[in-house]
Amino acid sequence: MRNALAIAGFEASTRLRRISTWVYFAVFFALAMFWVAAAGGIIKSAVISFGSGKIWVNSPYAISQTVSFLGMVGLSIIAAIMGRAVQQDFEYRVEHFFFSAPIRKWEYLGGRFAGAIVVLLIILSSIALGGLAALMLPGLDADRIGPIRPLAYILPYFTVLLPNLLVLGGIFFCVAALTRRMLPVYIGSAILLIGFLAAQGLLRDMTNKTLASLLDPFGVVATSQLTAYWSISDRNLRLVPFEGFLLWNRLVWLAIGAAIIGLTTWRFRMAQAGSSGRQRVAAPEDKSAEPMAVHAQRVVPEAVSGWRLLPRLVWLNFRETVKNIYFGVIALSGILFLVVTSSTAGDIFGTNTWPVTWQMLDLLSGTFAVFMLVIITFYAGELTWRERENRLDQIHDALPIPTWLPFLGKLLALMLVPVVLQAMLMLCGLGIQMAKGYHHYELGLYFRGLFGIELIDYWLVCVLAMTVHSLVNQKYLGHFIMIVYFIFISFAGALGFEHNLYKYGVSPTIVYSDMNGFGHFLLRTRVFQTYWALGALLLAIAAYLFWVRGTTAAWRGRVAIARRRFTVPVAALSAAGAIAMAGFGAFIFYNTNVLNQYLTADDVLARQAEYEKKYKNLADVPQPKVIAVKVAADLYPRDQRVRMRGEYTLQNKTEQPIDTIHLLIAPGDTIKIDKLEFGAPATLTDSDVPIGKRTFKLASPLPPGGTIELTFDITNGAHGFTNSGAFTDVEYNGSFVNAASMLPLIGYQPRGELTADTDRKKFGLPPSERMRDRDDPKGLAINGLSPDSDYITFETTVSTDEDQIAIAPGYLQKEWKQDGRRYFEYKMDSPIANFYAYQSGRYAVKKDRWNDVAIEVYYHPGHEYNLDRMIAATKLGLDYFTTNFGPYQHKQFRIIEFPRYQSFAQSFPNTIPYSEGIGFIARVREGNKDDIDYPYYVTAHELAHQWWGHQLVAGDVQGGTMLIETLAQYSALMVMKHKYGEEKMEKFLQYEMDRYLLGRSTEQKKELPLSRVENQPYIHYRKGSVIMYALQDYIGEDNLNRAIRSFLEEHKFKGSPYPNTTQLLAQIRAVTPPQYQYVIDDMFESIVLYDNRAKSATAKVLPDGRYEVTLKVIANKRKADELGKETEVPIADWIDIGVLDADNKPLFLEKKKLDREETQFTIVVDRKPARAGIDPYNKLIDRRPKDNTIAVDIP
Amino acid sequence: MAFALEISGLSKTYPNGVQALGDVSLTIHPGMYGLLGPNGAGKSTLMRTLATLQDADAGTARLGDIDVLRDKDAVRRILGYLPQDFGVYPKVSAEELLDHLARLKGLNDKATRRDVVATLLQQTNLYDVRKKALGGFSGGMRQRFGIAQALLGDPKLIIVDEPTAGLDPEERVRFHNLLADIGENVIVILSTHIVSDVSDLCAQMAIINKGRVLLTGAPQTLTARLANRVWQRAVARSELEGVKAKLPVISTRLVSGRTLVNVVSDGAPGEGFVPVDATLEDVYFAAISGRLNAASAVPQAA
Repeated sequence: MRNALAIAGFEASTRLRRISTWVYFAVFFALAMFWVAAAGGIIKSAVISFGSGKIWVNSPYAISQTVSFLGMVGLSIIAAIMGRAVQQDFEYRVEHFFFSAPIRKWEYLGGRFAGAIVVLLIILSSIALGGLAALMLPGLDADRIGPIRPLAYILPYFTVLLPNLLVLGGIFFCVAALTRRMLPVYIGSAILLIGFLAAQGLLRDMTNKTLASLLDPFGVVATSQLTAYWSISDRNLRLVPFEGFLLWNRLVWLAIGAAIIGLTTWRFRMAQAGSSGRQRVAAPEDKSAEPMAVHAQRVVPEAVSGWRLLPRLVWLNFRETVKNIYFGVIALSGILFLVVTSSTAGDIFGTNTWPVTWQMLDLLSGTFAVFMLVIITFYAGELTWRERENRLDQIHDALPIPTWLPFLGKLLALMLVPVVLQAMLMLCGLGIQMAKGYHHYELGLYFRGLFGIELIDYWLVCVLAMTVHSLVNQKYLGHFIMIVYFIFISFAGALGFEHNLYKYGVSPTIVYSDMNGFGHFLLRTRVFQTYWALGALLLAIAAYLFWVRGTTAAWRGRVAIARRRFTVPVAALSAAGAIAMAGFGAFIFYNTNVLNQYLTADDVLARQAEYEKKYKNLADVPQPKVIAVKVAADLYPRDQRVRMRGEYTLQNKTEQPIDTIHLLIAPGDTIKIDKLEFGAPATLTDSDVPIGKRTFKLASPLPPGGTIELTFDITNGAHGFTNSGAFTDVEYNGSFVNAASMLPLIGYQPRGELTADTDRKKFGLPPSERMRDRDDPKGLAINGLSPDSDYITFETTVSTDEDQIAIAPGYLQKEWKQDGRRYFEYKMDSPIANFYAYQSGRYAVKKDRWNDVAIEVYYHPGHEYNLDRMIAATKLGLDYFTTNFGPYQHKQFRIIEFPRYQSFAQSFPNTIPYSEGIGFIARVREGNKDDIDYPYYVTAHELAHQWWGHQLVAGDVQGGTMLIETLAQYSALMVMKHKYGEEKMEKFLQYEMDRYLLGRSTEQKKELPLSRVENQPYIHYRKGSVIMYALQDYIGEDNLNRAIRSFLEEHKFKGSPYPNTTQLLAQIRAVTPPQYQYVIDDMFESIVLYDNRAKSATAKVLPDGRYEVTLKVIANKRKADELGKETEVPIADWIDIGVLDADNKPLFLEKKKLDREETQFTIVVDRKPARAGIDPYNKLIDRRPKDNTIAVDIP
Repeated sequence: MAFALEISGLSKTYPNGVQALGDVSLTIHPGMYGLLGPNGAGKSTLMRTLATLQDADAGTARLGDIDVLRDKDAVRRILGYLPQDFGVYPKVSAEELLDHLARLKGLNDKATRRDVVATLLQQTNLYDVRKKALGGFSGGMRQRFGIAQALLGDPKLIIVDEPTAGLDPEERVRFHNLLADIGENVIVILSTHIVSDVSDLCAQMAIINKGRVLLTGAPQTLTARLANRVWQRAVARSELEGVKAKLPVISTRLVSGRTLVNVVSDGAPGEGFVPVDATLEDVYFAAISGRLNAASAVPQAA
C-alpha cells in the first residue's frame, strides 16, 4: 500500500510540476469562464444561453451542463494523461526500474492510476472554478445569476466527472498498459466518442431513450434525459439528482470499467516488452561468422529526384498508417456507428424515410465528420513523429533528399486516409440503402458529395494538422491545439464570430435537394474552398519551413533554418499564394459584405430593437387595410430573381381620415424597389432604408371608407452569395416565394419586436408582453394572420421558365407561352386572407377528385412514394371536415413540393407548399405498429387550415394560434383516428407529449395556458394535440365537433372583429356535462400536470373463470406557474381506470372520480389481465407515463 | 591525396549555455580517423554537425570543394552516417528498410539497387536474416545493419558515432573487422570513448574534451611523446589521495584489488615507481587531465 501511495505521489507530483498540466488547467478555466460569461450576457455579440435566457448561469442545471460538456471536451486530456501514466515508462525505457523493484503489480498499476486521477481531478476542477470566477466578472446581467450553491458545483463532479475519469481513464490506462502504445489509446477515445454520437443519433426515436442514455459513456445524454422535462423553475432550483438514467448509466459504465481494469491487472506482466503477452517479433538467429571483406561499392548514386520518389514515399507512409489493427478497428467502429444511427436517420415521429442518397450523405458526413477529424489529427501526429519515435530520424535526416519530400510524402499520405474512409462510407451508404430495400443508387451524387465537396474540407484539416504538428513540435500539445481549433470553429458562431473568412477550413453550409441538386450553393462552397485551399498552401509552406530535420529544437535555431529554406522560389510561391488568397478573400468579402449585408445574429436582433424603438409610437395610428391585390410575378429561376409588379387597393376602414401611410418592406440589399406609388398625389416624407420603413403623406387625406391604389414594382433576388444562410426563394428548380417577404406591409408590425426578455434588456428595451390580452378589443379588431388586411380579392399572373409550372393561389384562368417563358393566370373566386405565395418547378402532377373538389399533387418525379397517402388524407379530411365543421370554400386542393431548404408545409388558400423533407420520402410501412403515417397527418393538418386559418381567422391576441393550430391539430388527429384507430394515436400522442414537455423547458419568456398561448409552437401544436384528444375523450367527439361547428359558423369570413378562445371555450362549455367543467379550466385556463401511478395490482380467479383485480392507484395533480414552479392541488378528478390485456387492449376502462391521493378499486374482468392502472393510455399530461400501469400479479 | 576534410574554428553553444564545441579545428584525410573523448566531450555535436543535422554557431568545414556547413545537400550525397543512438521500424525487414534507404540515397535503378542491398547484407552477415523484422535483431545485428545503411551509395565521408557502445566483446571484434575493411580512399570518422577502438583501427586521431581539441596525430606518434615518461606504482587506498595531491597522476586503476597509479614524469617521481611502456590510454588520460606536457614531477622535499 505504501508503495502504491509512493508511486501515486510521484506520478502526481511530477505531473503537477509540468507546465502542460497548468496549461490544461488554464484552458479549461478560461473555457468555463468564457462560456458562463457569454451566457450571462457579458459578451455583447454572443447569443448563447443554457436553453433559455430565464435559466440562471449558475443554476445547478447550468453547472451540470457546463461540467459534463467541458468534461467531455477534456477527453483528449484524459486520454493523454491516463495513457501516458503507464505508457511513458515503456517509451522512456525505465520500466525495468519498476519491474525489478519489490513492487507488486497492483501497486504499480494502482499507484499510477491513482496519481493520474488526482492530476486530472485537479485539472478538471478548473471547470467549476472558472464557472465560479465568471460570476465575479463585472457586467454580468444580475437577472441571470441565482444564489451560489456550493453543492451544485460539487455534485456533478461526483455524479459525472469522477465516474468518467474512473471509467474512461481506466479504459485508456488499460489500453496503454496492455499495448504499451499511445495510438490505441487515441483510437479508444475516438470509439468512446462514437458511443456518444450514436446515442445522440438514436434519440430521434423516442423509444430509444433508455438505450441512448446507457450507451453514452460520458453520461451527457443520460443527464440531459434525466432533466429533459424539467421546467425553467426546476432547472434553476433543483440539484441534478443521482438517479434514474444517470444512475444506471454510471453503474453500467463503472461495471464495464471495473471489468476492463480487472482484466488488465490480470493480463499485465511486469516484464519487458517482447516477453509479455504475445511475442511480437521472433528474434532471428544470428549466424554471423567472421564478416566477409567489405569492398567499397563502386555504384555511384544518381542525383535524388524528389518528384520521382514522392509516390513511393506517399504509398509507404500511407500503407504504414492503414495497415495496422488500429486503423481496422477505427474503420469497423465507424461502420458500426453508421449502421446503428442509420436506423433512425431522418426519423420524424419515430418513422423512417426512404434512404435517399442525400439522406445517406447527411448521415455519413454529419456526425461522422467529428470522427474523421479525430482520425486526421491523430494520424497527423503519428506520421510527423514516425521517424523520431522509431529513432530513425538521424539516419533519415542525413539522407540526400530534399526536405520537402518527407513532409509532402506524409501530408499526401495523410490526405489519402480520408479518401479511403470516404470510399468506405460510400460503400456503407450503398449497403444501408440495399439493406433497406432502396435500389435507386446515385453513384454520381455519392462521388460529388463525399469526394467532390466534403473531401476537400477534410484535406484542409489534413494540412492544418500537419502544420500544427510541424510548428509545435510537441505531439500532445499539437493534438490539443487541434482540439482547441475544433472547439473554436464549432462555437465561434454562438459567440458572435460568424464570418467564415476567419474560420480556417470552414465553408458555408451546402444543402442538397433532390429537386434542386446543389443549386446555387455549389459556387459559394467552391469559392470558399478555393480561398481556404490557398490558405492551406500558405500553411503547408510554413510547415515546410519549420519542418524539423536534424537535431535543432530551439526556436532560434529553427527560425534560422526556416530563413535559409525561404528561398526565392518558396518566397515567390508564398507571395503568389498570399496574393491569390487575398484576391479570393476580397471577392468573398465583396459578395458577403458589399453585395449583401453582413449581419450577425446579434445585428439582426439589434435591427429589430431599432425598429421597435423608432416606430413603436405608430402602433395605434390608424392605417388603411388591403382589400384587393393584383400581382404579376415573374420568376427567373436561373438568375435567382423574382419581380413583382402590381397593385394593392387600400381602404380606410376607420372612422377618421388618414393622411399618412406607413409601409414596411423587408430590409436588405436584395430588394430593389423600382416603383412605389399611390393612386393619388402623395409624397415620400421618410425613407428609412436600413430598416425598410417608408412614410407617405397623402396630399388629401383618405376619408373613412375611401380607397386608394398602391402600385409597386419590386424585385428580390440573390446578389452574389452570402456568408451564411442563402436566398432560396427562387431556385433552379423548386422556387417558393412568400409574397410577404418582399411586398409592402401596411402600418407598424408588432411581430418584428424582440420577445425574449434577455434580448430586450440587452438592447435597452423594457420587458413587454408578447401579445395583447385575449379579450383586448384592439387586438380582436386585427386579423391574426395578416394584420394589414381582412379579406382580399386576389388575382395574379405568374411567369417562369418555359419548362416549369408556376403556381399561386386561385384557379387557373389562362396559360400561355411568350418569349420563351411560360405564363399562368390565376384568380380567386371568393375573398381570401391576404396570404399567398408563388411556386415554380419542373413538376409531375397527380390528379384525383373528391366530389366536386379537384385534388392535385405537384411533385418531383421520383418522389411518388406517398402521393396516394396525401390524396387519401385529403379525401378523408374533406369528408370529415365538411361533415363536421362545414363546407370547403374552394373547388380545388393542391399540394406542391418544394426543396428541403425549409422543412414545413404551409396552408395558403387552396394551395399547400409542402417540403420534400417532411413527407414526400417518408417510409410508412404498412401494418407496422410503430410507424406513424405522418405524410397523412401533415396533409390532414394543412387541409384543416383551410377551415382554421382561412375560413376562420383569429384575432391578434393571446390564444389566437390555439384557434388556428390547435384546431388544425385536432382535426388532423380525428382524421387519423378514423383511419388508423385509437392505438396508433396513443403512439403519436406520446411524441406530442414529449415535445410539449421538452418545449416548456426551453421557454424564453413564460409558459401560458393553452387558451392564452402566445404563438408558442410547443403549446399550440403539441400540448394542443394532447389536450384536444383528451377533451374529446371526456366529452365525446360528436359533442366537441358540434361546439366547434357552431363556433365556426358564427365567425367564418366575418372579418373584424375576430374571435378569440373565450368564444370557443364558451361553446365547448355549453356541450360539456357539469362534472367535467373543471376539465375545461384545467386544460385551457391553467397549466396542469399529473403525476399518476399505479401502486399495486393483484388478481384472483373467480369461480366463474373471471378475474377480480384489486388495484391501488396514486393520483397527484399540480398546477405550474409560468416558469414551471409547481403547487400541488387537491385532487377531485375523473380519471381513466383501466385493466388491460397482454395486447394493451382494455378489458375495463372507465373514468372514475378520484378525490384522494390513493384509491383502491376492485374490478372484475372477463379475461386474463396483464396490466392495470390509472390513465393507462396517457391522455393526461404526465412526465412519467410509464408508471401509470403496473403488471397485474396473479398468484 | 584526393581530398581532405578541413574543419576550422567550429564552435557551438547550446541554448542552455553548454559549450559543446569551442574553436575546433581539424584536418582529416582519407582513412580511419579516431575521435576520442569522454562522454559529453562534444564528439556527437561535432559528428552531427558534419552529418548536416545541426548548425554550428561559427567556423567552417570544407570537404574538397564542398562547404559542409552550407551545402548540406552536397554533403548528404556522399555521406554515410551511423548515429550513436538509432532505431529501426520494428515491423519492417532488414532488406526492405535497406532497399528503402538505398532508394532515398539515389540508387534509382532497381537491379543495381537490389545488388547493392544484397551485397551489403552479405558483407554484414545479415543476408540470412534479411527477411526478418528488424524489431527482433540483437544489438550487434542492429549495429551491423547500421553500418550497412551507412555504406549505401558509395559514400566518401563516413561518420560512425560510438558504434561499439553496448556491444559484447565478440561483436566488437567483428565490428572492428568490418570497419577496417572499408576502403582507404574514403574518410571514416569514428567517434568513441573507448581507447582501444582507436588504437586498433585508426591511423590518425584527435582527442577532444569539453569541446576543445587537445591533441591530434597518429596514435603511435602520440604514444611516442610519452615514451619513458610514464611511471607506475601500486599504492594502498589510504595513500591514494596523498599521491594524487603530490604527483601528476594521469590514471589509477585496480588490478587484483591493488591500486596502480600512472604518473607522467620526466624522471622517477618517487620511491617505488617503475617506468612502464606508454600506451595510447596513457596519452588519452594525460591529455584529458592536462598533464601531457607536464615537464616533470618534482618530488616534494620531505
